[in-house]
Amino acid sequence: MRRLLLACRLLLAAVPVLPLAAVPVLLLAAVPADAARIVSLNLCADDFLVLLAPEQVAAVSILARDPSLSVVAPQAARLKTVRADAEAVLALHPDMVLAGAFGAQTTLALLAQRGIRIERIGAPHDFDSIRAETLRLAALLGEPARGDALLAAMDRKLAAVSSRAPARTPSHALAVQPRGYTSGPGSLTDAVLRAAGLIDIGAGRQVSIETLAARPPDVLVQAQSPAFPSLATDWLRHPALAAIPRRTVPPSLLICGGPWTADAVALLAE
Amino acid sequence: MTRWLILGIVLLTVLSLGVGAAGLGVPDPLILWQIRLPRTALALLVGGGLGLSGAALQGALRNPLADSGLLGIGGCAGLGAVIAYYWGVSALFAPALPLAGLAGAGVGCAFLLMFAGRAASGPSLILAGIALSAATAAMLALALTLAPNPFALAEITFWLMGGLEDRTLSHVALALPPIALGCLVLLRLGRGLDALALGEDAAATLGLPVGQTLRRTAAGVALAVGAGAAVAGGIGFVGLVVPHLLRPILGERPGALLFSSLLAGAALLLAADLLARIAPMVLPLAQEPRLGVLTALLGAPFLVRIARRVAP
Repeated sequence: MRRLLLACRLLLAAVPVLPLAAVPVLLLAAVPADAARIVSLNLCADDFLVLLAPEQVAAVSILARDPSLSVVAPQAARLKTVRADAEAVLALHPDMVLAGAFGAQTTLALLAQRGIRIERIGAPHDFDSIRAETLRLAALLGEPARGDALLAAMDRKLAAVSSRAPARTPSHALAVQPRGYTSGPGSLTDAVLRAAGLIDIGAGRQVSIETLAARPPDVLVQAQSPAFPSLATDWLRHPALAAIPRRTVPPSLLICGGPWTADAVALLAE
Repeated sequence: MTRWLILGIVLLTVLSLGVGAAGLGVPDPLILWQIRLPRTALALLVGGGLGLSGAALQGALRNPLADSGLLGIGGCAGLGAVIAYYWGVSALFAPALPLAGLAGAGVGCAFLLMFAGRAASGPSLILAGIALSAATAAMLALALTLAPNPFALAEITFWLMGGLEDRTLSHVALALPPIALGCLVLLRLGRGLDALALGEDAAATLGLPVGQTLRRTAAGVALAVGAGAAVAGGIGFVGLVVPHLLRPILGERPGALLFSSLLAGAALLLAADLLARIAPMVLPLAQEPRLGVLTALLGAPFLVRIARRVAP
């Protein structure tokens, strides 16, 4: 690779009329000429970027490689990762940086000063906003066809669930998050429970084990426990809750709203 | 006095089994045995261990400000427990959690005793404790930033504030043996501590094995505080406050304070935990106040009062 670069430089030195911008094209012939170098600093942005435009990835966040958090972990294993650190990002010479709505403010301000385009991604909270955000990002990345394909697959899965007639009265479900917080109306999890034909009784408040044991829901929806030890999820193993039926969903499907969230609906509707 | 304390503990225990998020009164057997019983038992165990440790430390170090929390021993125990928990050791071998807690507390006690042996003055010991607290806080933060769990720093913030909610009988099983052993060691030190009250040299001339008494104090405190911190998080000020509450009634003799401090510590922590459970029922709180926060709120003004009295 280094030899190739050197060869290119020699070539450039010999032929000064060749435009500098042609170098990446020479090196990465498979990539379309208008492809941008894009760095993602946010887990949800990683998911969208890798699914919509894997060829344009300059780097993703380190969380993208964690299979419990990211839906693109297998692909991310082969991609470069970067921390939200201005120096590290600048060294990658990105054209655009994708970031979440919050966090890394000082880093992003520095990058913006250096003339790098910063795009913040939204946090969809239902399937309509997932559609809107997917279309927006697909257009932004110049891949509208891939966006449409992802949404078509999502809608097929959702239609398959809703076409199945509910056999019995719908269950009252409570989705519990670490430390006993419940997902409330208007949240992504609420949208997933409703799409799966469940009645969401969560109010967004924290519940205690004692309240749960005294008034158990028909089904407790929980995210799969992470691979690392976590105090916040340990409490779900409390013996007083052992009798309540549970459904487990991979957290990667619910952390970020996207076309993949339909898989959570399909899992819960089974 | 002992009779009144035992009566108080019995009353508080009955109340504690009847109060919780599910409401007042005798609950469902599942809630009674799996949730309220472990919580009540742990409050008594941890509180008793902290109260007795405070009395023993204040006697052995001849310093009214000695307390496992203030001297950084609680922080050392927390550091040990955090390392055992976040690196998955306690998931493989559950007793590793209290063991690491008491190993941490043991290191802290050893450091302080080494220091106490050389510099006898009260303030310098407290300063050494502050240095130990600062060092453990820094190492704790370092351990958490290196931990495999990216949310460790956030969840440990809650843990360090101490609490007994949602504990199970297995937590009781883990904490009971070391705390009971530690309390036994400390309760047998009464005569040694009485002699030490005259000063180390005077105690030595009375034939007291000073070094051994100090080492036993350290071992007992490490067992009681270390295992307590491993299951209940950071709960401070119980050991500081309890002996001071008892001295006006029982006198200054350290040996006479030990057993009563055990009982009073148990009663105080159970009362504080009851308060934490009742607070969301009467106040517009979304969740229980943390137990360690309550004991600190109750204990900090006390520390100011003692400091004012001790100051020349």
